Amino acid sequence: MVGLPYDCLANPLGAVRLTFEKAVASGYDPAVLQGKDWGAAELFRQFLSDDDYLSQVPMLSPSTLKWVLPNSLVRFRGMIQDMLGNEFYVGAYKNGDTWRTNKFADASHSPMQTSLDMQIWERHLLYCIPVPGQNVWAESSQEAVRYPQTNLISLQRDKRPREDEGIMGDVDMMEFDANEDSQNSKKMREDDSSLEPLPMPQTLSVGTFSNLSLVPDTDRNTFSCLVKMYDTAESEIKLNDIFEFVGILTYDSELPENRVDNDEFTQSICEDELVHMPPSKVPRIHCITHRKLAANDFLSGPALELMPNTAKELREALMGHLTTVLGNDRVAAQYMLLHLLSRVHTRVDSVAVGKFSLNLTCLNKESMPVFGNNLKLAIESLLPLTRTLPITINYLNTISLTPKKDYNTNRLAFGFLQLAEGSHLTIDETQLQAGTLNATGVDNARVLKSLIESQMVEYDFTYYKMEMPVDVQLLILSEGKSHILPGDLILPLRPSSAEAPLTVDEDILKAWRWYLGTMKSLSHSIDPDMQKVVEDDLVAARRADRSLGSMEFSRLLTMGRLVSISFGESHLSKEHWQMVKELETIRKERLDEKV
Amino acid sequence: MASGGGPPSSPDDWETSPIGNTFSSPGGRGRPKRGRRSSYATPPPAQSDSRFATPGTTPPSSGAANTRRGRGRRSSANPTGVATPSSTDDAQPSSEAGDADEDEAPPMYVWGTNISVQDVNAAILRFLRHFREKPQQIEGKYMMAINHVIEVEGDSLDVDAHDVFDYDTDLYLKMVRYPLEVLAIFDIVLMDMVSRINPLFEKHIQARIFNLKSSTSMRNLNPSDVEKMISLKGMIIRCSSIIPEIREAVFRCLVCGYCCEPIVVDRGRINEPTVCGKPECLSRNSMTLVHNRCRFADKQVVKLQETPDEIPEGGTPHTVSLLMHDKLVDTGKPGDRVEVTGIYRAMSVRIGQTQRTVKSIFKTYIDCLHVKKTDKSRVDVEDPMETENGVTAKDSEPVIDFEDKVEQLKELSRKPDIYERLTRSLAPNIWELDDVKKGLLCQLFGGSALKMPSGASFRGDINILLVGDPGTSKSQLLQYIHKLSPRGIYTSGRGSSAVGLTAYVAKDPETGETVLESGALVLSDRGICCIDEFDKMSDNARSMLHEVMEQQTVSIAKAGIIASLNARTSVLACANPIGSRYNPRLSVIDNIHLPPTLLSRFDLIYLILDKADEQTDRRLAKHIVALHFEDPENSEQDVIDLPTLTAYVSYARKNIHPKLSDEAAEELTRGYVEMRRRGSFPGISKKVITATPRQLESLIRLSEALARIRFSEWVEKGDVTEAIRLLEVAMQQSATDHSTGTIDMDLITTGVSASERMRRENLVSTVRSIIMEKMQLGGPSIRLLELLEELKKQSPGEVHLNDLRNALATLSMEGFVAVHGDSVKRV
Repeated sequence: MVGLPYDCLANPLGAVRLTFEKAVASGYDPAVLQGKDWGAAELFRQFLSDDDYLSQVPMLSPSTLKWVLPNSLVRFRGMIQDMLGNEFYVGAYKNGDTWRTNKFADASHSPMQTSLDMQIWERHLLYCIPVPGQNVWAESSQEAVRYPQTNLISLQRDKRPREDEGIMGDVDMMEFDANEDSQNSKKMREDDSSLEPLPMPQTLSVGTFSNLSLVPDTDRNTFSCLVKMYDTAESEIKLNDIFEFVGILTYDSELPENRVDNDEFTQSICEDELVHMPPSKVPRIHCITHRKLAANDFLSGPALELMPNTAKELREALMGHLTTVLGNDRVAAQYMLLHLLSRVHTRVDSVAVGKFSLNLTCLNKESMPVFGNNLKLAIESLLPLTRTLPITINYLNTISLTPKKDYNTNRLAFGFLQLAEGSHLTIDETQLQAGTLNATGVDNARVLKSLIESQMVEYDFTYYKMEMPVDVQLLILSEGKSHILPGDLILPLRPSSAEAPLTVDEDILKAWRWYLGTMKSLSHSIDPDMQKVVEDDLVAARRADRSLGSMEFSRLLTMGRLVSISFGESHLSKEHWQMVKELETIRKERLDEKV
Repeated sequence: MASGGGPPSSPDDWETSPIGNTFSSPGGRGRPKRGRRSSYATPPPAQSDSRFATPGTTPPSSGAANTRRGRGRRSSANPTGVATPSSTDDAQPSSEAGDADEDEAPPMYVWGTNISVQDVNAAILRFLRHFREKPQQIEGKYMMAINHVIEVEGDSLDVDAHDVFDYDTDLYLKMVRYPLEVLAIFDIVLMDMVSRINPLFEKHIQARIFNLKSSTSMRNLNPSDVEKMISLKGMIIRCSSIIPEIREAVFRCLVCGYCCEPIVVDRGRINEPTVCGKPECLSRNSMTLVHNRCRFADKQVVKLQETPDEIPEGGTPHTVSLLMHDKLVDTGKPGDRVEVTGIYRAMSVRIGQTQRTVKSIFKTYIDCLHVKKTDKSRVDVEDPMETENGVTAKDSEPVIDFEDKVEQLKELSRKPDIYERLTRSLAPNIWELDDVKKGLLCQLFGGSALKMPSGASFRGDINILLVGDPGTSKSQLLQYIHKLSPRGIYTSGRGSSAVGLTAYVAKDPETGETVLESGALVLSDRGICCIDEFDKMSDNARSMLHEVMEQQTVSIAKAGIIASLNARTSVLACANPIGSRYNPRLSVIDNIHLPPTLLSRFDLIYLILDKADEQTDRRLAKHIVALHFEDPENSEQDVIDLPTLTAYVSYARKNIHPKLSDEAAEELTRGYVEMRRRGSFPGISKKVITATPRQLESLIRLSEALARIRFSEWVEKGDVTEAIRLLEVAMQQSATDHSTGTIDMDLITTGVSASERMRRENLVSTVRSIIMEKMQLGGPSIRLLELLEELKKQSPGEVHLNDLRNALATLSMEGFVAVHGDSVKRV
């Protein structure tokens, strides 16, 4: 090959093989090293460190899936929805006198029965789904990269799905199988040329393609990916983390229909991913490198430099926008900004420090369609991961909010509250009417309450429950104060106009997104003198009003922190503390006048 | 040639059943001997005579085992590994050529290891014969066990791996490392011994090893564990239906009716004869399976999942498949926690029937040798409230799950400051309130329940009421206890109903505020029921509590049936004073507006008053500031973490049942008398009752709980002293008569203190005299306000209209006056 020694993009397995052979030749003993990396991952890491190359790696999504070739390098961004444990595989085996490896592959290409010595290695299986609540703008930035890739594989174009196939509707399953089989046998004959086009996506794409334009969301929701991780300690990976995986895409050549063994035993032992995740629906990625993503990684465009002035200007502009959205209620906009900047930064015992859930009240049937909707759109355009949960009696009684382990499939069934860190959740209570909750409803209400109060979501494992810490910004919209969903802060909305907010320029939006993402992650501290001031204020406040407790103090301090980071500052200043107190005074007045 | 391992070579063995191949017949033992190093890569070659499935392997089957090995490279990998002298009739050397050299040459080694078959054989024999738990025992432990097995015609012998380890560490190590081989030898030795003791005993006895020295966590299983003996703990989450597995098949010729010899299953397949075996018949394709003459064995696949405590944060539980045979089938049901000893196996997966390539993936499972049910790790559920329960708990197997932990806990309990330390560890974020915390601690541990032969029972649960100003972290305390306590239930009194699972969403029509009227009080039998906002509880629900708190049952009337359910629960309630702040001038009853009958059922009532104290305020402010801005790691030291605390409480509740020592009983009597005596002040004629028998019961419960805290089986004098102190602290706060400053239990029991009672009596007599004076019998009525004016003139101090009404009510009951609305008439 010219230029690069290995074709990492189109034939990554070849590169893996070559490096392996090289490593073995230079003394790497597969029997001893138990599958430890021999330099292949390093090779890819170097290759991908170049942005040009990285951008050539196609991002796997329902739309790209139909043309990406199997056994080529792909990227995938997803949230770990379930961890399926370890898988043992034949990592290396001796074919004659030479060692071969199966790392980063599903099945060995050359028949193994002649091998006399084999090594069993292990890898982790992760079940990943597209990040729940990811907004369209956060996605589009990734998919742009697919285009450079097209010409790379154009030589194989004849096999690509043709547009007109869309009209044909469903391809007969039998035909598909036949296709598949011939493909397999061909594969065997042709040694292991991995540049072969993929027959599988034809069927898949026909379906997906026609669906895509109509209901992209359902398609997105059913899309999932089984990632096989190598050389990574399990402790580094956590449920609900968002990762970008770069790895080799494979489809198992078998279909569950092909399995003839009806031996109950074998089935019950190997059922899991084969039966419930047919490879034709769930692509596999053999991960070579991975990177944990934070919400900020979803932003596109250049990062701005953090200057006090930029922060202030952006803050002002964003405040203006939020004020319009909230019907000219500047106080509400202030609180909303703080809310959007909040995150759980520490946990002490059961206390999640830093959470700032906001309960906007005075939203009734008339005002909700206007402001609720504007607000929803505004938040969606500002934060990468947002979801909305409109609750009604019926809804609470029927849905399952929490993830639940399904022991029949041995999978964790997705629940609405399985959210990635840093997601934003709007709970719309305005539609909730009086009525009776059944056991499910009570459970759901309890789960929501615990989410709001302690930022914990209970996962149901049937025989026991497991609490998972989360970091979700919660906005509650209700008519009156919600006792079911006790937000940290209750604020009656006082809109004075109902004009629709102007459409915002994409560049400005980008800047705002950057602002929210960056300020949110700022670290924050307090000077000793200021600490004294704050303490004195708190003591004085308590003397004036005995009903103030740790909850109120906590809220004040959270606000203090949020106000100062909203100005891009990492120290609480007197001025900002003063601002917090003023805001709270205004809010109290509002609450009182209501009663 | 060098290995029996490697992937299967022909399409027919891909579906081999992976049952253990710890064959007891020597013919079956060949493979491991040769294929040691890579044997795990092979699907276990046969199932026909697995020790798990076929007791009493007979020569025919071992012959079959030999034949089926006579193919390809396997044939040489088939030495009769355990042709030990003892296994006389099974040890027929196979006729295969490849074995000859090894058969002749003692000592024999298991391939790839330094395990000599004879040595192991001898070691096992020694162990079985000579192991004694105590030196003075005459017969060895396992000799007795073997005899017992023979007597009851059992088919397995449980062998404690600890015993093996103690007796012969080397044997133990070999057994764990090469379980297939060593267990096979074990079985042969056993059979041999059995046949010597009772030659007529035909059943095949298998050794079931349990209680390994170390147990693995499911998360740490890795390729190096394959084919090793492991033990792990987990929770059964799913059991497959029982799979009948054919062992021997019998075929009958449809033409002539000839039945063939039983055909043993070979690697999951039955070689169906194509030709009738009868020389006269020889019909082709005429053989049909005779189901009821075939032999089947039970098999079951069970999924085991990690227990919650082993899952790291942010992880999901791992699962592993277990294969159970015969007797082990259905030993556990989903939800059970078990400790499993078995052999970790891997099985390769084939891609498809028609394809020769093996998918490079292995499926793993554990071939079970022994299953032991462990008790729940939170030992709370079977809290031995009833004596019969207590007995069974002791009879059952020891809590192996906890052995280490228990040691730690015991160590902890021996610390002299354990009481203080536990107090400190309880809700460390809430300061002060030490006495309240001590009370809560007692509640967590609980006293012992007592059931009299007469049927009367005394509860062991301690009920606590916290009354206090808002913002005094009552709710946090409640939340904390709820988290800590087994089966705790947290509910808000607002809109709680006593039973039922449903709830009602109520919406205020004016403000639009939504409230969840939670179905809350689904009572927590043997737990702590935490009720927040107790004062806001509906009377209906509260009346239910009367029964719960004294009788420990709850009655439900539904559809004409009255059911009485157990509700052995402690109640921890907190209430806000009426009018949001506690009014020190009023009695507790007036402050919390709770019926005295209910109030008296609380053992301890604490008043948590928010005294305006700058020091506390500052501390709170400091704490919150630190919480937000500093690294919170270093803030608390020397406290027991929550899991340990939970374990400590659970263990004590389950295992410690303190009894009163004589000394303590004396102290109790003394203390109680003392408390009662305090009521009668010298020189004061009025009688104030300070303590009631209910308080005595409380005292007993408290002292029992205090003994439990120390893991002590005896209630000592110190416990009683502390109990009295706790009770007094609680009473001083709640039962203080604010007008006299003394403790007055009447405040709790009737809501009226003695001095108040006296005042009322005075008032009544004053009113009576006024009425006598002013009014004629049957004369015109007088207005209430006029009467009040008159009263104020006569008696000093403040007199409220209410007081007057009360007095009049008393008088009208006497029949002295008649009250109609605002007018009073003498009758």
